[in-house]
Amino acid sequence: MRYRVLAVVAAAITLSAVVATTAPSSKAAGHTLTVWLQVDAQNGWPELVAAANNAFENSHNGWKVNIQYQQWNDHLQKFDATIAGNDTPDVIEMGNTDMTAYMAAGEFANLGPYKSSFDNSAKWLGGLKASSTFDGKLYGVPYYAGSRVITYRTDLFKKAGFAKPPKSMAQFQRELVKVGKMQSHVKGFAPMYVGGEDWFTALGWVFDYGGSIAHKSHGKWVGTLASKKSLAGLRRFKAFFRATQPRSSARLDGTNPFPYTVFSQGRTAANYGPAWYTCCTGKKYAKVVGQFVMPSHTKGKPIPGFLGGSDLAVPIQSNSQAQARAWIADFTSTANEKALQKKGNIPNATSLLGNSVNERAAARSWFVPQAKHWINVQTGNILKTFLAQFLTGNLSVKKAAQVADANIAQTLNEP
Amino acid sequence: MTGRRIAGGSVPYLLVLPVVLVLAAILGYPIYYLVKLSLQKYGLLELVQHHGEYIGLDNFRTVLHDPVFWHVLLRTVVFTAVNVGLTMVLGTLGALLLVRVSTWVRLLLTTGLVLVWAMPPVVAVQVWSWMTNSENGVLNYILTDVLHVGNYFQHNWYETTFSQYSMVTSLVVWGAIPFVTITVYAALSQVPHELVEAAQIDGARAWRIFKDVTLTVLMPVPMLLTSLSIIWDFGVFTQPYLLIGPGQQTTSNYLMSTYLYFEGFGKSDFGIGAAISILMLAIVAALSVVYVRRMLRVGEEA
Amino acid sequence: MSGRRARGRLGWNALGIVIFVVLVFPVFWMLSTSLKDNDQISSFTPTWFPRHPTLQHFEDAIHRQYFWTDVGNSAIVVLATVAIALVLSFLAAIALAKYGFSGRKLFIVLVIGIQMLPQAGLIIPLYIVLAGRHQVNTLTGVILVYLTFALPFCVWTLRGFVLGIPKELEEAAMVDGSTRLGAFVRILLPLVAPGLVATAVFAFITSWNEFIFANTLLHSGNKQTITVWLSFLYGGNRFVDWGQIMAASTLIAIPVVIFFLLVQRRISFGLTTGAVKG
Repeated sequence: MRYRVLAVVAAAITLSAVVATTAPSSKAAGHTLTVWLQVDAQNGWPELVAAANNAFENSHNGWKVNIQYQQWNDHLQKFDATIAGNDTPDVIEMGNTDMTAYMAAGEFANLGPYKSSFDNSAKWLGGLKASSTFDGKLYGVPYYAGSRVITYRTDLFKKAGFAKPPKSMAQFQRELVKVGKMQSHVKGFAPMYVGGEDWFTALGWVFDYGGSIAHKSHGKWVGTLASKKSLAGLRRFKAFFRATQPRSSARLDGTNPFPYTVFSQGRTAANYGPAWYTCCTGKKYAKVVGQFVMPSHTKGKPIPGFLGGSDLAVPIQSNSQAQARAWIADFTSTANEKALQKKGNIPNATSLLGNSVNERAAARSWFVPQAKHWINVQTGNILKTFLAQFLTGNLSVKKAAQVADANIAQTLNEP
Repeated sequence: MTGRRIAGGSVPYLLVLPVVLVLAAILGYPIYYLVKLSLQKYGLLELVQHHGEYIGLDNFRTVLHDPVFWHVLLRTVVFTAVNVGLTMVLGTLGALLLVRVSTWVRLLLTTGLVLVWAMPPVVAVQVWSWMTNSENGVLNYILTDVLHVGNYFQHNWYETTFSQYSMVTSLVVWGAIPFVTITVYAALSQVPHELVEAAQIDGARAWRIFKDVTLTVLMPVPMLLTSLSIIWDFGVFTQPYLLIGPGQQTTSNYLMSTYLYFEGFGKSDFGIGAAISILMLAIVAALSVVYVRRMLRVGEEA
Repeated sequence: MSGRRARGRLGWNALGIVIFVVLVFPVFWMLSTSLKDNDQISSFTPTWFPRHPTLQHFEDAIHRQYFWTDVGNSAIVVLATVAIALVLSFLAAIALAKYGFSGRKLFIVLVIGIQMLPQAGLIIPLYIVLAGRHQVNTLTGVILVYLTFALPFCVWTLRGFVLGIPKELEEAAMVDGSTRLGAFVRILLPLVAPGLVATAVFAFITSWNEFIFANTLLHSGNKQTITVWLSFLYGGNRFVDWGQIMAASTLIAIPVVIFFLLVQRRISFGLTTGAVKG
């Protein structure tokens, strides 16, 4: 009998709890603009975010900005969940390689009619603008970019007799080998340290020799890593890698350990990576760190560097698109872009470009194929596997490239 | 203890109602939606439009015809068998050890087991990652400079799939042992001493005593632990995902859970993801049905 | 104690100590790293003990944005999940153990079956359900999800306990003239207590350590749980501060360790008795 009472009471409590939590909560007074930015902003320039928020809130009475920081390894899965739940942010930062798939799916609002409301839009960097454009329409606003440079130990190079940055890849390789011999007494020393699987680095060689990753032919994607020019670049990369790097880094992708960690332990004289590597090269070498543009195999030119970067887009599900555009305009204002530049980034317009190493390296750049499913090639780690295969000697360069081409074509051609 | 099933009218239904309500409210629609998704073509475009295209069992056909699925399944089955086996054997041996040591050592070991059990998986992964990294990880240091078992200088433990999964297995088993050891140990202390002593007087050897007396009394416990371990290890996600790394997951080193995550949701192909989910559920159910049936029978007979 | 037995004991003790060292080594390594300064951490050759122990990493972790807020969030989620799971699963366990009613077998199958669902596959469908009820980015949404995944195990374990209660005791109490509920409280609750503790521990661990759903459902820094907070220390950051990660990890593991040490003896009894009863 008592069980019965107990049971009814418990059932009642649960029912009311379930109902209470499922009743729609009252909306907070005023409006909120939800913005998804990556943690780079949180760690690198939070004051710029705050400045943009202030500017926006001052000109939009009753509005608050809610910044929700995201991480690179799962922000797209989280974004997909919000699309499914009709719960998307009003503004989202997308990596430039992430954009195409979502533009093709019609996820972003067309910003073309409002282009003039964004500072310097007439002079946007070609690479970033291309990543925000699909079918001729504009779906994103370039935010910032970054290229790749050589971060090196000025003291070691000087000691080896090289006062000025090398002018060609061959010269650079010779210098690295000499520095390596000079430091051979240091356990585990390698003249240069880059993860072998870091395709952002390796594929620069492909483009330097006039090759490419894939192109569209008769409406179908075809992998071109096994083309003559691409193979020439890859073979040169393999030779360069073998001459200057430890065998053990063939299977590393540059995230564990970070190349700059190896640098800070004094076990390498050079990294090839984003310009912000100088943040983390260690206290010991703070005074002897320098940067220069990685040279091409052709004397006097820079090797094409991967132009990384982010765009800001407005999901079509947003009910506050006008406000979203206004916030983006505040965040990419000329003043903010110049501030981003001071932090070592490349600003979003050619009219703002300065003469830093990072910006000079961007003079020659390469980018991934503008394919709907390109992001799946990245997620499927096809390129990493490809590089590991020929760097470790498991497959010849040509065979590995053929396998990669097949995988890329299969992924890109999926309906 | 014999069960006495009372026919209690509406009482049992009321008692069960809260749980049923919560489970139905939270999982009801998702399970229905998952089944629906598995029968649809549903990519990014369909996600944005909130509308998929019915294609019947095509998703299932695609997955089952994909050799990758079968390789991944095999790998997961082997992985599960190895992990469950190691966990149960080492865990039980640990419990037997606990019986034989002095009290203070037992206290030490139990404290150690609790410390290990309490470590959140995401934390344990970070520690493993740090210990096993090729550049200055302590594992390589111990093997090379302390134990002198070989030259593991800058050895990359994540180079081959087998090596990667050795690392993952060591992490998973390490974290799973405390639960087994502590439970089995407590169960051991419930084995009637008289029975053991009687068998010892009879001259039976330790192994026979263990088999005939101890194991028989204990039987429900390993049953429960094994079936739970199978279910958990088959679907384990956090450790392989984080330890091998999101950036290193490929068709040659997926487990079912990461395969589901990357091929389904990583590539924004939700129909395929749903199909794989349902297949996974069916497989786990099939793998554990033997144990679950045994457990149910033991419970009902009680 | 005879000489032979003493020597035998010594052997086992030695083995026990070796195993202790190997078992606990990762925990030791975590602690040791958290106290080392950055130069020693990134040094090429690992060293066992911190040369100049420092609490800097702990300070950095605690002062990092949202640390205390997110600890509080985790605490709320865990306490709510454990409390509600205990009550609800206990009631259901009584029904399963003591009553015969049609649909019993179905309920049991449901309880076992839910534990086999692949969680990764449910992320999006669950998100849709919760978003529809405005429970995304709220702690109640997370509590509901955790409850759902904890209840089956809790119901199953408690069923075993209630099954193990001798009816004679209950009847003996009733002969005294007390009501059924009175008998229950006075006599049976202490017997079921270990089971309740075991259930509480399980719900506690799974909720405190959970990551996937907390990460998907909680967007704002001030709403996230501590495991999500931790992921920001190593996920895609430009500079990975291992010292801080280890210090933060230590801090996060502490509540669970304390909880465990408090209830430890009860757990072992609890799980086994429940398990033996099936």
